Amino acid sequence: MAHQWGMVIDLDRCTGCEACVVACHAENNISTVGADQAARGRAKHWIRVERYYEGEFPDVKTKFMPVLCQQCGNAPCEPVCPTFASYHTQEGLNGQIYNRCIGTRYCANACPYNVRFFNFYNPVWDKPLNLQLNPDVSLREVGIMEKCTFCVQRIKAAEIQAQSEKRDVKDGEIQPACVQSCTTRAMVFGDLNDPESEVSRLARSHRATRLLDELGTAPKVTYLQRDSWHDGQDV
Amino acid sequence: MSLSAGGFKSWLRIIAVIGIGFVTWLVVEHALPAEGQATPSSAQEPTAGVFTTAHSTVTQAIEEFFNYRPEPTQPITFTHKVHLANGLQCINCHVGVDQGPDARIPSVNFCMTCHRVIATTNPEIQKLSGYLARGEDVPWQRVYGFEPSAHVKFNHAPHIRAGVQCAECHGDMTKQTVAVRAVNLNMGFCVQCHRQHNVSVDCVTCHF
Amino acid sequence: MERRDFLKISALTGATAALDACGSPDHQLIRFVPEEDLIPGIATWKPSICTLCTGGCGMLARVMPGEAEVVRRGQLGLLKMGLAKKLEGNPNHPINQGKLCPRGQAGLQVTYHPDRLRNPLKRSGPRGSGEFQSIGWDEAIKELASQLSPFESGKQESGFAFLTSPLRGQRANIVSNFTAALKSTRWIEFAFLDDQTVRLANSSAFGHAAPPTLDLARSNYIISFGADFLSTWNSPVAQSVAYGQMRQGRPGVRGKLVHFEPRTSITAANADEWLACAPGTEGLVALGIAHVIISENLRSASAAGAAGNAIQGWTGGLAEYAPATIEKQVGIPAARITKIAREAAANQPALAVIGGSAAAQTNGLFNALAVNALNALLGNVGKPGGTIFTPPIPGTPSNAAELQGKLEFDAFLRQIKSDPNAVKVLFLYHANPVFAAPASLQVRNTLEKIPFIASFGSFIDETSAMADLILPDHSPLESWLDDTPPSGSAQAVVSLAAPAMSPLHDTRAMPDVLLDLGHQLGPDAAKSLPWKTYDEAMKAAYGGLQKQKGSITAKDADDFWQKMQDQGGWWSTEENSAVPTTEKNSTPPTKVSAPQFDGDASDFPFHFLPYASQMQYDGSLANLPWMQEAPDPLSSAMWGTWVEINTQTAAKLGIRQSDLIEVASRHGSLRAPAFLTPAIAPDVIAMPVGQGHQNYTRYATSRGANPISILAPMTVAGTDSLAWAATRVKVSRVGEGKLILFGGGLNEQPAEIRHR
Repeated sequence: MAHQWGMVIDLDRCTGCEACVVACHAENNISTVGADQAARGRAKHWIRVERYYEGEFPDVKTKFMPVLCQQCGNAPCEPVCPTFASYHTQEGLNGQIYNRCIGTRYCANACPYNVRFFNFYNPVWDKPLNLQLNPDVSLREVGIMEKCTFCVQRIKAAEIQAQSEKRDVKDGEIQPACVQSCTTRAMVFGDLNDPESEVSRLARSHRATRLLDELGTAPKVTYLQRDSWHDGQDV
Repeated sequence: MSLSAGGFKSWLRIIAVIGIGFVTWLVVEHALPAEGQATPSSAQEPTAGVFTTAHSTVTQAIEEFFNYRPEPTQPITFTHKVHLANGLQCINCHVGVDQGPDARIPSVNFCMTCHRVIATTNPEIQKLSGYLARGEDVPWQRVYGFEPSAHVKFNHAPHIRAGVQCAECHGDMTKQTVAVRAVNLNMGFCVQCHRQHNVSVDCVTCHF
Repeated sequence: MERRDFLKISALTGATAALDACGSPDHQLIRFVPEEDLIPGIATWKPSICTLCTGGCGMLARVMPGEAEVVRRGQLGLLKMGLAKKLEGNPNHPINQGKLCPRGQAGLQVTYHPDRLRNPLKRSGPRGSGEFQSIGWDEAIKELASQLSPFESGKQESGFAFLTSPLRGQRANIVSNFTAALKSTRWIEFAFLDDQTVRLANSSAFGHAAPPTLDLARSNYIISFGADFLSTWNSPVAQSVAYGQMRQGRPGVRGKLVHFEPRTSITAANADEWLACAPGTEGLVALGIAHVIISENLRSASAAGAAGNAIQGWTGGLAEYAPATIEKQVGIPAARITKIAREAAANQPALAVIGGSAAAQTNGLFNALAVNALNALLGNVGKPGGTIFTPPIPGTPSNAAELQGKLEFDAFLRQIKSDPNAVKVLFLYHANPVFAAPASLQVRNTLEKIPFIASFGSFIDETSAMADLILPDHSPLESWLDDTPPSGSAQAVVSLAAPAMSPLHDTRAMPDVLLDLGHQLGPDAAKSLPWKTYDEAMKAAYGGLQKQKGSITAKDADDFWQKMQDQGGWWSTEENSAVPTTEKNSTPPTKVSAPQFDGDASDFPFHFLPYASQMQYDGSLANLPWMQEAPDPLSSAMWGTWVEINTQTAAKLGIRQSDLIEVASRHGSLRAPAFLTPAIAPDVIAMPVGQGHQNYTRYATSRGANPISILAPMTVAGTDSLAWAATRVKVSRVGEGKLILFGGGLNEQPAEIRHR
């Protein structure tokens, strides 16, 4: 059976440290835009950590939630793309095909999670920062939309490696950059079509919820709600 | 607008304006980065300048847009014909083609392992040893490749492992001296073979 | 000419004029012969060590062939070489177990930084002007040797001084020996974030002058006093890995975290309960909790042993610390404190930890001793799920920090102030006190008096800008590295890494330069610095580990050395949690001490809490663009500074989100935009440390404000540490300001954000 890639983020483990944010930049050749462009809302953090405050001082609860492309099963960004640059891949990802993209930005407009980013200018790296660029990932030029790909380059590399060894990809073998760096192991990635995979198991948790589920986007990212403490033990 | 004499002039004006507009847009959007020029490195300053996806000239931008890539000139007239006739395999020099995405172009050190003694009087070989003597690597010019805007991530290894012969995409090297683009590697060429062999034609297989 | 011809021609000529002759200058760069024939597209993973904070995480660097522009033999050209592309945690490393924090990820940008110094420099303009000229290494070393030659013979206490960041491993050893060989006792370790207070408290209570290792993974209840252990305190990744375990790593068991701090740090944000105690009262709270536990017979006072006896009144049951008594002072309802105490006692193992602003008050040492007593009372010290201490490394000289008597930074400043001729030559290495010490200490003016300053750092910063000679070190990924992390693991750890890539520029490893200089000095130096290169020194130092029970079995010394490099280090296989060894105290018990603050409460109504920022740490990482653009987790702010102010307080002062406000202490003032938050006490103002550099690469220079600059020169009593949480300030609105916040993909932020 074909893989259907999915992710689980345990909000009880996530500390909001943003290791995922920087790891993603390093892996995916995301350029920094500088202070002026950042002030215009053009920074490209494919994954971000949202921080919410609940309550008033002194009883304030702070909550973190990493948000990235949900690789929606019913992605609102796919039907609006006039060139099929945003499309659904056979393995359940929302693919962003850069050479098809003509930069209408309808996809970003349609995305309820605000996880799509546009290259308003050609990205620039002060030399020799460009030596850090990952050769496995395309450089996106001006006029192209970009977003989290679940590190499709890592998925492809693992599948090719597994194929050469005449086996299937093992659970836990593929780790997107964010998942690999996450210091509390809050993020888990794997095949939702495999009921025994860790991601499938965790997605069945009683704490499982999906972001903006009510919109019918069928996101592939499952969030595990922050747990509570009942004098010692909790399920 | 009617095609009277006055109407025709109006059309011409409109076309001229659009033409200037197009060129301006090309210059602004494709040749210049956001802040200032794409500056090249000057002598002794490896950290001067910027690296950008912008083209450094309009000509380059136009050439990429129309996929215009003339055959390059090689610094040394390397002849595949002769090397293959002498029993070398592709993979002896183009190491890595079965391990990863790229085929290595050997360095001058590698060539000299043989050419320290073989055909040393040949003027092309003397060019080769000249490079090494100067501490320089041979500046081979890339023959095969895809435009950056095609965003293709081609991986040799699965193809070699699947038994695809080098000649299928690179032509019969026993007939070539310096490598030339004997096969037109457009997308149709790739997709046709993929369909034939029942391999995925999902966009994200190659474009990511 | 007719109009249409003109238009036709303009269109053509316009187009032609814009067309250039093809040929990028890149094609004209020569290609150097590569050192090795690498296969493009194939990655090798090389162990390395993160040096960006005190954690000491082990890394793996993904190295792939690429083409770099380098200068060789004076000529610019292209070189195919292995380039580090991505950093990951080393899965086998006991400290971080395969994980890496955002700062560690950004380490790549140090190697590839456009403003990294590429060759030795000699000052060519007035000191501090930033005017330097390039010189060769031979000339640079010769100059240094001539500056040092007066010191090698002759009287004690020469005029040589070495100012470094806190060092570990053989680097510390070599600097120590080098300083001693020059007849000097002036090796000074400087850092804004220093852990002297916690070390002293641990030494007194438990006999270990080391920061604690927190076995959070097996703990059920954690009470943290100001220690931002999930972000910047001590060994953040080790602590985060363990925290994840504590929360959801054990089926049916979830630990609880309670955090006391006047503001919401990242750790506070993750706590099940965040309580804003009054600044400096953390010790009182700890003793309040201890009082409840003792008075309700949940545990016996004597369980606390020596740590308990360190607190005056311990054996009496700490009646004066009853929650009802201290309630008003600490600002927390008695019932909350009582509840926490009962929960802690009922949910063993329970542990307490102190750090951050709680230890940086004038009574920080008292606070730390109180927390240690609480730990001992809870019975967790040296036990699973509790406070443990990383065992010493067997068979090697102990941490050099204890070897040589080290000079404290403000003592060093005082020496120069009192005798300007005391120090003739100063070596700098990764210490930036001109930025990271309060302006009131007048660091720049004091260091100005030193006739000759040499810096080994990779960047021009506020302090190295004063150098007369710069001999830039390799970046960490280009260096032989070792580390002996003093906490974060129950195993003894020696990290080791060969260079992950060849040097890009004409730099030299700092320890190699010292060894080179050492050979040019007299026989004493040669004896204590006999090695030619740094790796030779490390091989000699760590060879003895081969005989210890550890992670490597090898057939001979060379095999061991190779395996140690391949694995990224050596670690003991036994979890040798050291248990407390002292039973009696040598110092008299500590009385409660109230915190002192600089500034009158009526003139300066707010407590000022600078805090190490997640991205820029103590300011040393502000030069990295990823660290400027990554949004701060709590404020989402990028590329700037902000001032945290309570929402209600701001309303009372007429301050709105992003308004420019002036924060003034008795020692200076600064301006920065306000960030309104409910998650901070109403009488507390907080600011991240990191920005406000005057001179630190293109990304950090002249950006934001530096909260350290306005701090009062207060000391943590009983230590030499700066009490950086002891300053009071006043606040006023100046005008409109600008916050650059990250809001997601399609969120146009106007340059000036008004009410949100």
